[in-house]
Amino acid sequence: MSTSQADSKGYVGKFVRTKEGRAPLLGKAKYTNDYTFAGQLYAHILRSPHASAVINSVDVSGAKKVAGVRLVMSGREVAEYTNPITDYLDPAVFGGKSADIRPMAVDRAWCFGQPVAIVVADDANIARYAASRIQVDYTPLEAVTDAEQALAEDAPRVVPEWDDNLLMYVPFVFGDTDSAFASAAHVVSTEVGIHRFSTQPMETRCYNAVWEHDTESITLYATSQNPHPLRLVLAETLRMPENKIRIIASTIGGAFGMKMHGHPEESLLCLMAKLTGRPVKWVESREECLLIGAREQRHYLEMAFDDEGRMLGLRDRFYANLGAPSACPGWGMAFLTGLTMPGPYRVRDIDVQVHAVNTNKPSWNAARGYGKESTAIALELAMDHAARQLGMSPVELRLKNFIRHDEFPYGSPTGLMYDSGDYGGALSKALDAINHEDWLEKQAQALAEGRYIGIGVAFELTPEGGAIPGTMVAGYDSSTVRVGPDGTVRVLTGITSPGTGNATGIAQIVADELGVDIDHIEVLQGDTNASPYGFGNYSGRSTIVGGGSAALAAQDVRKMIDKVAAALLEVDLEALEFQDGLYFGRGKPGTPLSFAEVCYAAYTRAYDVALCIEPPLEVTRTFRPPSIRHTPDKNGHINPYPSYSNAAYVSVCEVDRETGKVELLAISAAHDCGKVINPVLVEGQACGAIGFGLGGVLSEEITFDEGGRQLTRSFVDYVMPRMSDVPDITMVHHDSPNPDTYLGLKGAGEAGVGGSAAAVVNSVNNALQPLGVLIHDLPLSPPRVWAAIQAAEGGH
Amino acid sequence: MSLYPMYARPRSVEEAVGLLAGLSSGAVVVAGGQELMPAVNSGTLMPEVFIDVAGIEALRGIDFNEGVLSIGALTVHRELQGNALVGEHLPLLANSASQVGGGWQVHNRGTIGGNIVAMHPLYDIAPSLLALEVELEIADESGVRTTAFADVLTDTRHGLGSDSLLVRVLARPQPSGSCWGYQKFKSTGGAYGSANAAAIVQLDGQSLSAVRLVVGAAAEKLEVIDLSHIVGKPWSEDVGRTIEAACREAISQPLSDQQGDAEWRRAMAGVVARRAVQQAINSQREEGAA
Repeated sequence: MSTSQADSKGYVGKFVRTKEGRAPLLGKAKYTNDYTFAGQLYAHILRSPHASAVINSVDVSGAKKVAGVRLVMSGREVAEYTNPITDYLDPAVFGGKSADIRPMAVDRAWCFGQPVAIVVADDANIARYAASRIQVDYTPLEAVTDAEQALAEDAPRVVPEWDDNLLMYVPFVFGDTDSAFASAAHVVSTEVGIHRFSTQPMETRCYNAVWEHDTESITLYATSQNPHPLRLVLAETLRMPENKIRIIASTIGGAFGMKMHGHPEESLLCLMAKLTGRPVKWVESREECLLIGAREQRHYLEMAFDDEGRMLGLRDRFYANLGAPSACPGWGMAFLTGLTMPGPYRVRDIDVQVHAVNTNKPSWNAARGYGKESTAIALELAMDHAARQLGMSPVELRLKNFIRHDEFPYGSPTGLMYDSGDYGGALSKALDAINHEDWLEKQAQALAEGRYIGIGVAFELTPEGGAIPGTMVAGYDSSTVRVGPDGTVRVLTGITSPGTGNATGIAQIVADELGVDIDHIEVLQGDTNASPYGFGNYSGRSTIVGGGSAALAAQDVRKMIDKVAAALLEVDLEALEFQDGLYFGRGKPGTPLSFAEVCYAAYTRAYDVALCIEPPLEVTRTFRPPSIRHTPDKNGHINPYPSYSNAAYVSVCEVDRETGKVELLAISAAHDCGKVINPVLVEGQACGAIGFGLGGVLSEEITFDEGGRQLTRSFVDYVMPRMSDVPDITMVHHDSPNPDTYLGLKGAGEAGVGGSAAAVVNSVNNALQPLGVLIHDLPLSPPRVWAAIQAAEGGH
Repeated sequence: MSLYPMYARPRSVEEAVGLLAGLSSGAVVVAGGQELMPAVNSGTLMPEVFIDVAGIEALRGIDFNEGVLSIGALTVHRELQGNALVGEHLPLLANSASQVGGGWQVHNRGTIGGNIVAMHPLYDIAPSLLALEVELEIADESGVRTTAFADVLTDTRHGLGSDSLLVRVLARPQPSGSCWGYQKFKSTGGAYGSANAAAIVQLDGQSLSAVRLVVGAAAEKLEVIDLSHIVGKPWSEDVGRTIEAACREAISQPLSDQQGDAEWRRAMAGVVARRAVQQAINSQREEGAA
């Protein structure tokens, strides 16, 4: 890395109140739905009530008769104006199948909730009412909703043209797993059922498409994590040049991957604006938001161990239920679950088989953890199961099998290059943080009183900041730093913020590099007409590449300002000093120059003192993480990730034997995200991820009836944790700086869902061990835990 | 239904019931709006006229006259929790109001009247009101009638009927020397209850001399559990098991929703019922010890 001006006197590493946090707290933030324009129209989308059906006809005449309706279109009509939606990630690039993904169903609906018709009207109520007047004639078909059943020879086909429902099969096979198992002293089999759960941001999706009559172009106000790549997709889908589309991603109220693109509504709304010549807005209802699935997988794991508990081989065959095909990048989660095996463990002989299966459930989109959380859940439940079978403590078994801190950089069997870490150290720190020994005592005492306390540990390794060749998952990103003639700073980034506060982290970095007050810095993100071309927010990358590129740009601008200052002060650069916002020449008495004075000169004295630079004071730089390697090595492996954050989690719970309810008593985490730019931002992210993890395994579940119609329609059904469900979280940092990034940064936004989820499940099974109960089918809702206890008691 | 509903704000019960009679099923009464507005916002309910009863003084206030506590239908959950008269005479009601879900927003806006009229099987207040054997003052065009809450519940028509307005809730104080328990089981902090139970217990020394137990949230209707066979017995684990069995038997058609299946629901009804009675007895013992 280039040398950094950042020092201990600056902002980096300190708690800095978020610059962009004030407006949302005061209710003043401008979310996408807060933009309304003259002549604003509203859209409502009619959706399929069937999981699988032939659409015989769509009669929109009833809707057209409603006063205030401006446009009504069926899928067939929309198809005349649009191309299939370009995949965010084309499965064919990975050896899978591609389907034509239309913005609306044309002749056939392949999942519950698929758009079938759209109404545009003067207000949302009229549009909703008019949609109820559309007559659709369906012939319902048999639906397939289970991933393994979908692979049966005679299973109904989700995509009629396909030979089967297997979107993709990926084997990650390395070494000689059969020999490893043949020589093993112990083989432990574990089946893990991860249910369908989601992310559910407070702000649902919203698109407001504006037709710009003067330039015959579209401006789309969108809840989008990736405005530039979305623009390319829209250009292709709408048959428009990319430079005729502008995306503005305003303040976002949570995204978690759900606002990565490929959604049909993005192109639909643009088309409606183009056809009506008016602004058209659509706000996703919570019911619609709940249609976006994720994570549903069933794993069949086998672990081979020697006599001392060293893992010799790992087999995992798993089936991911992706729902119907989608242009969103959700399916990639299944790939990542496989690629991240065997996580933090040293085992080399692995045989992991990914089956990414399409069914007639609604489609996945990316969800925080992007499949890596499922690796952690599957592996960590299996590790605890192995510890039980081997008669070892779960901590001891993990410590024996972790990659050691002196083995980094470490090449995983699937080809990933882990940058740094101290996994054993992190686990010990997390155990200390929660006072593990005390809890062991309390557990024994409780058991004597007939109460069931459990302690669970888990580890999560999270590759972050990914770059996939041939796709718009580009890995690198760019920032512009512009210093004005008054010395104030505008930073424009290609990355966006889903509400995590990364703009503040970037401002801290730029403030330190320039040596200015953070209040003089404004960060702008998410406008494709203003920001440098960038790839937005995903994969825990924003501070690594957004901060890294902003640092490079700030360093260059600072050099320009230094040159002008030296010219003004008539000293050599070596004799130039800068302190507390003032420039002066060493050994040269006289009045020092303020930063702003020098900046003004850089703009206004371009023909004398500022001849040494090329004005204005503006530089755009890119940070391309050097450790990403797309040239395959001798095994054909690439390293798509620059950063491998990791963390250990410990959960303590008590299970109510009579009701099956799990109460969490304490959680600790020891987290390694490399250099911490702002502890409050990192801890906020990590605590949020823990909330996701514990909610996901205890209460959140998307369910369906036998015909594949979704039953989960509101927060009455989909219950996320409240403050009363979240115990005290003790968070400690165990940082190993990343040698390949600016300041040693690793991702900090994505990790934590799987590790915390697995720790909670392991603590529940630990609590239930005296009752002979073991549950590996999630979620651990009270009825499921209760039924398992009943079954065990009945068996006595 | 209407895309553009109208709004009326009557100033008296007479005006309100006059409007209701004239508008019949096209009108809805708005009190705190906690039940109604989410349904309107999601498009499942599209009323023609909102009749906002917030301006009717007769629906407000809590008073105690001639041994009867009269609670205005507009009394919000927060008032039930903090009101001295309710705290003194109906601690069971105060406690169950404090366990209403949704946090301060619902507690500050949601009314006892709305809670009753909604007749939602999962709501908190009703089991306590049935255990307390309250009466309801209901107005329509022909005048004001007083009906036992139990009778309203057995009526198969939903709610009070489209021409009626709930005015006040009338309750006699909990019997002196009685103790009470309220138990609500919910899977997680944000969930609706999966079973709840309200118990009023009278003890004669160590023996249970009277037990009134109502179980809710487990079935479509509230169930008053017949516990005559344990009267006269002292509390024991065996009595607890008997209560659980009585509940399981009484809940013949348990609800099944995303929070839990019918079998578990039925079992939870038994658990909360036993715990409510236990809670009542323990509170008496603690009081005795103090």
